[in-house]
Amino acid sequence: MQQYILRRSILNLLAIFFVVTLIFLLLRIDTDHVVTLRAAQTQTSTPEAQAAARQQIREDLGLAGSIPEQYKTYLWNLVQGDLGESFQAKEKVTNEIKDRIGPSLELGLLQITVAMLVAIPIGVISAIRQDSMVDYILRFFAIALLGIPVFVLAIFVLTSSSIYLGYVPPLTEYRDLFPFPPFSTGRGVDVSTNLQIMFMPAIVGGLGEGAIIMRFLRSQMLEVMRQDYVRTAWAKGLKERVVILRHALKNALIPVLTVVGLLLGIVLSGNVVLETIFVIPGVGLWIVNAIGESDYPIIQGVVLVVAGALVFINLLVDIIYAWLDPRIRYG
Amino acid sequence: MQTGEPQAQAGALAAPAEWVLPKRPGVAANVWKFIRRKPLGAFGLLLVILMVSMTVGPPKAVFGVPELPDSPLGFELGKPFMARFDAKDVFREGERGVSVGSIDRFLEPSTKHWFGTDRGGHDTYSVMVYAARRSLFIGLWALFFATIVGCAIGVVSAYFRGWSDTLVQRFMDSIQAFPPLILLILIISVFEPNLTIMAIALGFVGVTSVQRIVRGVVMSTREEPYVEAARVLGATDLRTMVFHIMPNIMAPVIVVFTIGLGSVILAEAALAFIVPESVPSDPSWGIMLHFTQQHLPPFPPFLPFTLLEGDPEGYHTLAAGGAIVLSVLGFNLAGDALRDVLDPRLRVG
Repeated sequence: MQQYILRRSILNLLAIFFVVTLIFLLLRIDTDHVVTLRAAQTQTSTPEAQAAARQQIREDLGLAGSIPEQYKTYLWNLVQGDLGESFQAKEKVTNEIKDRIGPSLELGLLQITVAMLVAIPIGVISAIRQDSMVDYILRFFAIALLGIPVFVLAIFVLTSSSIYLGYVPPLTEYRDLFPFPPFSTGRGVDVSTNLQIMFMPAIVGGLGEGAIIMRFLRSQMLEVMRQDYVRTAWAKGLKERVVILRHALKNALIPVLTVVGLLLGIVLSGNVVLETIFVIPGVGLWIVNAIGESDYPIIQGVVLVVAGALVFINLLVDIIYAWLDPRIRYG
Repeated sequence: MQTGEPQAQAGALAAPAEWVLPKRPGVAANVWKFIRRKPLGAFGLLLVILMVSMTVGPPKAVFGVPELPDSPLGFELGKPFMARFDAKDVFREGERGVSVGSIDRFLEPSTKHWFGTDRGGHDTYSVMVYAARRSLFIGLWALFFATIVGCAIGVVSAYFRGWSDTLVQRFMDSIQAFPPLILLILIISVFEPNLTIMAIALGFVGVTSVQRIVRGVVMSTREEPYVEAARVLGATDLRTMVFHIMPNIMAPVIVVFTIGLGSVILAEAALAFIVPESVPSDPSWGIMLHFTQQHLPPFPPFLPFTLLEGDPEGYHTLAAGGAIVLSVLGFNLAGDALRDVLDPRLRVG
């Protein structure tokens, strides 16, 4: 097991290295663009002064050397845990990510909670009443939810609440949920404001994710319900509730863990769409702006953090897997 | 067979009627059977057909090379038959709605403008029909790219196994570790926005999942006796892959293609919604939705059921949002049904 974890960790590092290289090269395709963007802000008259200004900007941004040189510097800084300074705000990217990961993480965790709350009962009911009317209706809704884009649903929910309930979440003033690091953005703590902003996107995003989990859980349940040990449980005369919850659901949930793990990884990158609509100062909103401004260190930093989190969450899921299901052995 | 043939001849001489094969069900009967067995799938297929028919129009310049960079299919189609007006037509009559200058903005629906007009005075319904063409073209091209590249990688990777497989798979893992939407926004913002780039970018993101599925299928297919037989007969690796493995993995590939179309259309709309300035500016459902949202002062009513209160923007949202939902739903339902028919092994739920 230890050997397995070690091998997987090394492979993960390799994957992260690929990601870092890929994003670096992708961003170096057109560096002139970013220099032009910055040069437009400075007023110069002569072409020479313009050229000098451009060169100065290049050096300031660390884009002066050849690409292999830049790459070497970048990797060297990376090994030391330095993600560089953002072009626009001139802030340490590591600090900025720390400030923004909280809201994204919170939104993501709430979304997954909503998704599980919706998916588990519906998935179970749909499976134990297979091919009944209830099953058809629930499955149709699940497929429909998969098809409805989050941004359509979000606008829909936001506006109908304002029309019918006369309620609009306080979108202008974001407040932290907790004062401690992962959840703090330095905007002051106010649990009720925070939750008022968060609950709508959590439900909207959670429903879509719930549909994915529900479909998966249903098929797992159907498979587990046909297993011998479930038949034994029935034969022993156990109550339906006990058979389904203790014997079937417990086993069906194990593979669902993989899906949840994947969703958790995606969550870290911030839900771009929901954060834009609900004005949540998370990673998603930030990186879209950063891409618009060609702020390379931010883009590289966020992609690195997200990719790293994703591959290691996958590893964690596999380890938990083996722990939950003793039949699984990694060699 | 040795005893069967003379018997058959004798039977044919004596009583030909006995040997008439049962009548094969006609096309109509097959279609009816499909509708009865898979009502949801049939509904999905209907939606897909509706969407495709929206995009059809008279050919403008067949394989006109000058248009190549901007039209992903390489040729231009004229005004779709289903559109009532050209997407660029600006209306200026001015009866109801808000007229800015002489342009009729936000007209309410009428017999002339089925969904009213948008902020630029264009006919919303026609813009929606044009946008369907863009969605479908991008979707098809992205999926062609993803499927061809994904199949090639998946088949080769699974066929040769070993360290090359490991290396390729780790590389694919790392691409999959990218947040997809962010990767897409990045790619299209690095390059000039045009439809071909968008299609390739969307396809590129899809390659990883296509190749993963293909690889899984090939892993089991390559152990089949007919593949072994081909190898024993001295077929080269390339020949084995192209003529013996590829034809036998077509079913899952077709299913992946259909379901993938739905998600690519969704991704394209999301992209246009988030960064409308970085995508090509011709009619698109995502852009339509973006401007509906952008235009609105904080949260005025604009939902379908509040339209009675006289807010024409609602029809705009309804047209674009409805079109996205129905097309994605269509491809998902059709894909699910197709999977059940073609390849039950892939069944998820």
